[in-house]
Amino acid sequence: MNPDYSLLIPEYILAVWAALVVAVDVMMPKLRRDVPAYLAALGALAAGIASVLYIDVNKGFEAIPGVTIMHVDDYTTYMRVLLCGIAVFILLMSAQFVRMRLSHAGEYSAIVLVATLGGMLMVEGTELITSWIALELLSFCFYTLVSFARRELRSNEAGLKYMLLGAFSTALFLYGLSLIYGVTGTTTYDGIAAALSNRGEDLTLALVVGFVFIIAGLGFKVAAVPFHMYTPDAYQGAPLPITAMLSTTSKAAAFALFFRLFTTAFLPAHEEWKWMIALIAAVTMMWGNLVALQQTNLRRLFAYSSIGQVGFMLIAVAAATQDAGSSLLFHMAGYAVTNLAAFTIIVVFFNREGSDEIADLAGLAERQPFLALAMVTALFSLAGMPLFAGFFTKFMLFVSGWDAGLEWLSGVAVVASLISLYYYLMVIRQMYVIAPRVPGRFRTPALLWGVIAVLVVGVFFLGIWPAPLLDAADTAAAFLFRA
Amino acid sequence: MFDSINEFQVWLIYLLPLASCLLIAAQYVIPAPIRPNPRSLSTLSILLMAGSFLLALQTLGVVMNAAEPGQMVGFGEHRWLSIAAGDIHLDVPIGIRLDGLTAVMLVVVTAVALLVQFYSQGYMAGDPGYPRYYAFLSLFTTSMLGLVLADNMLMLFMHWELVGLCSYLLIGFWFANPARPGYTSPAAAAKKAFIVTRAGDVGFLIAILLIWTRTHTFNILEIQEIAEAHRIPDHIITLFALGVFAGAAGKSAQFPLHTWLPDAMEGPTPVSALIHAATMVAAGVYLVARLFPVYEASEQAMDVVAIIGAITALVAATMGLVMRDLKRVLAYSTISQLGYMMLALGVGGLVAGIFHLMNHAFFKAMLFLGSGSVNHGTNTFDMHKMGGLRRYMPITFATFVIGSLSLAGIPPLSGFWSKDEILVDAWYENKLLFAAALTVAFMTAFYMFRAVFLTFFGEYRGGEPGGGHGGASAHGDESHDAHAQPDGGAHAPAHHAMPHESPLVMWLPLAILAVPSILSGLVNAPFFHHPFGDFILQSVPETLRHEPHPFNWGIAISSSVLAVLGIAFAALLYAGGRVRVPLSLLARPFYVLFSHKYFLDELYERAIVGGILYQGVWRLAAWFDATVVDGAVNGVARFTRGASAIMRRAQTGSEQSYGLMLTGGAALMVLFLFITALR
Repeated sequence: MNPDYSLLIPEYILAVWAALVVAVDVMMPKLRRDVPAYLAALGALAAGIASVLYIDVNKGFEAIPGVTIMHVDDYTTYMRVLLCGIAVFILLMSAQFVRMRLSHAGEYSAIVLVATLGGMLMVEGTELITSWIALELLSFCFYTLVSFARRELRSNEAGLKYMLLGAFSTALFLYGLSLIYGVTGTTTYDGIAAALSNRGEDLTLALVVGFVFIIAGLGFKVAAVPFHMYTPDAYQGAPLPITAMLSTTSKAAAFALFFRLFTTAFLPAHEEWKWMIALIAAVTMMWGNLVALQQTNLRRLFAYSSIGQVGFMLIAVAAATQDAGSSLLFHMAGYAVTNLAAFTIIVVFFNREGSDEIADLAGLAERQPFLALAMVTALFSLAGMPLFAGFFTKFMLFVSGWDAGLEWLSGVAVVASLISLYYYLMVIRQMYVIAPRVPGRFRTPALLWGVIAVLVVGVFFLGIWPAPLLDAADTAAAFLFRA
Repeated sequence: MFDSINEFQVWLIYLLPLASCLLIAAQYVIPAPIRPNPRSLSTLSILLMAGSFLLALQTLGVVMNAAEPGQMVGFGEHRWLSIAAGDIHLDVPIGIRLDGLTAVMLVVVTAVALLVQFYSQGYMAGDPGYPRYYAFLSLFTTSMLGLVLADNMLMLFMHWELVGLCSYLLIGFWFANPARPGYTSPAAAAKKAFIVTRAGDVGFLIAILLIWTRTHTFNILEIQEIAEAHRIPDHIITLFALGVFAGAAGKSAQFPLHTWLPDAMEGPTPVSALIHAATMVAAGVYLVARLFPVYEASEQAMDVVAIIGAITALVAATMGLVMRDLKRVLAYSTISQLGYMMLALGVGGLVAGIFHLMNHAFFKAMLFLGSGSVNHGTNTFDMHKMGGLRRYMPITFATFVIGSLSLAGIPPLSGFWSKDEILVDAWYENKLLFAAALTVAFMTAFYMFRAVFLTFFGEYRGGEPGGGHGGASAHGDESHDAHAQPDGGAHAPAHHAMPHESPLVMWLPLAILAVPSILSGLVNAPFFHHPFGDFILQSVPETLRHEPHPFNWGIAISSSVLAVLGIAFAALLYAGGRVRVPLSLLARPFYVLFSHKYFLDELYERAIVGGILYQGVWRLAAWFDATVVDGAVNGVARFTRGASAIMRRAQTGSEQSYGLMLTGGAALMVLFLFITALR
């Protein structure tokens, strides 16, 4: 029986569209350089719409009969839609940025699409090698994108560092996979799960060392402490929209893989890895939030703040229950909306002022009240205030952690969350209290104004009426625990 | 009219101020030239608030008319969110809990909020942020009402956080103003209030998580029943109660989390009145009262509440003795009275605590608004610059004295009755707490009348020149014109020759508040057989409805005598118009201690935050960040300056050090693993 190729239509769309964007760019050299981004955004939108058609489809992609290497289910669908949505916003915020500061606009937009494609494959992979290749696809796209500002030393440097360390973490990850394969004799998630539940009482050391390396490899991808060291550099060096993408697409896809792998394949050995992830989660959230307090650069601040958020999301992986899964998916979406809003604002500011220092935000409330207000919304959401998306998504994560017997971890998370409020308030203070260094109001371009407005409305919507998304996340997570 | 009320009407109490906030926010979308004029917006806001107040009155009437006055009126719960995952079913409902306690709180909150909004028309006249101010005020009231109405912990907590957020917005309303000499700036004060109260909320949130996993419900009534029947272990109940109390202590400014409240005085004065009378600070007391059955189930938690309350009352009262700033005196008095209420709850006096909360809300709102009126006339809050105002501002004077008498506990004003009840409850529970409470009663009378004599007696000492409130006297630097607050209106002239009485919109609320400040104590007077007490007690299970302690003439007389003594003492020292009273060598160290607020701010900001956290922990983290991350980046930059080949960078230390981190992390985990495996 042939595999059901129709399951991968959204992926085809992205791949073909990416090629198309490059072709258009090559064939029409006179094209304005923001057009490819808009074109690519349409492609991402199309792929997103195609993904929606797979609601309630529950089917495996069998490369060889009996070996399911990918699985399309509600979990996949949820993440596909989320990733495509993120791509649309990233491309929209990129357009003017690319036009002003980068060359090779066609390749840029195409690679963003391919990165999204890689992320989608990571989500649906149910076989170790497939997932690993998908992960590499995403990573290579990011190595390129981070160093895309070719003439900027910092961008090159960040890209190179990211690639070298990424290769290193891949090696660790791959070594972990080989150990798992050695113990269980299979690479499919289902096969591993079966082998693990049949194993005897004795703790296989190779198995656990395998977990360690896999956690280290994935910990690098999601930027968990102590595997996070590249993050501030990459965030600061990358072109700004790519920084936004690093903090959303890369994290969402890696967490989706992380969660699926650990709750389907490795769940029978939960006791063996639970504490490792819980420990990393605790260290990550405290470290990220404490170091964030010291930052003077907005991107580095967001780098550390995102590290803190990773700590919160790791609670769900450690808990590995169904409601942890729904909380994770829910939080991911809320976090993506909030972070995209924040980064779009930073992009607008950067396009105009060429600065991403917190000190230069001084007096933004006077110069561009809309941007300042939208930023406040995003920051309050990240800090987890009610009415904003962040309150509920975080609260659900804490509840699910507590329910899974990780009371101490949820306690740490509550404290870390308090600390985060402090540095978000520092940014707000800068925008509202300090007098502007450069006088004069400026306007937000209409398109980006609209994008920010939509995202801000999204932040409030998720904060006030989270039920629809939470239901969707719950249905999606249920698929992983259907057995 | 008072027979029944449907659920929507109760929701309207909450929704009307919310609508006012949203409408005012929505008008910002309209281009500036055709926006409605600010006056009409405040009128709209006041009308909606009045509607809310009338509905609250109707609700109170209905609850009083029930078969058992104060009995709970049940409305169903509405599903807001639910997650079903395996055997866990997380339902997040929204719903209203309506009983005697709720109804009283609704009326108090809406009444004070209404008067504050009315008064603000005068006080905030001409402020460029006038519409924004009304939007925040309405949102603040909404949050407080949501908190009071909530029938489950999660809805309560969300509104609780919103109250904190709104206080941040309102205390920092004049965010662009620099600090007055010797005080914090409004922006810093707002941040402090937000952070300190949220530190308490850590405990609250953990308590909610704890109780959810143990009971799988957020419903307050169910949690009460479970705690009362001891269906969960006692130490869980205690932990839960203490966690909640941590949150309550933050909001209600209990020792040692009280330091935010005096600084919060940098906000506009009507906001101070609202925060310190009916909202925010009352929230903590309300929360403990709402969960009273849980506290009754845990003796340790009750003791903690009582002791913290007593300490707060004492410490704050001593600081109130020495403040020069009129609003600060009121601030410390608020903290002290909140400690009193907590003390009452801690010794089992639910009725006494809520009774005092209600009375205090009225007279303290009046005192704050009175201090705003004084400021309106003199442009300062510094009592050393006032004096003799009774001749110029007779209405303000009269109402301020009524409020002070009531606060001092002079019979038959309202404060006397509730304070007496607290004293009686303390007397039967613990003599030491009683002694503390009695001492506070004396100090309260003294510092209030010290303020009265300094402000209203003697000769006028000139006030402060310049057009603005003391709280906003230096209205931003010149570069900040867009933020400056021309307080305009009636007191725009640059120099006041002589102070003058405030306009009608400002003195009318004072006069109205004088009525409950005199009379509201009678609702629970012993010779009326404690109707208020019976009403409030309907909100707790029958087993907890203690008979009120009999009226004790001895306590009543001794506390009254002490209050009169305090007033007399203040008169002796300050009535002559003297400002500085020579302190004997013995009193000097106390003066220093009190006026420096026991050096607590120093302890928090310099020692703990500045010293340990900033110098220690953060510095360490920053050092790590700087040497490993930034150092590596700089090192790379330096190294590559002379090198053209980009690949050479791979040979620098940076990637190696990062790689080392990576491997090190993995190795560390393997090490842990061996340790656990070998165990």
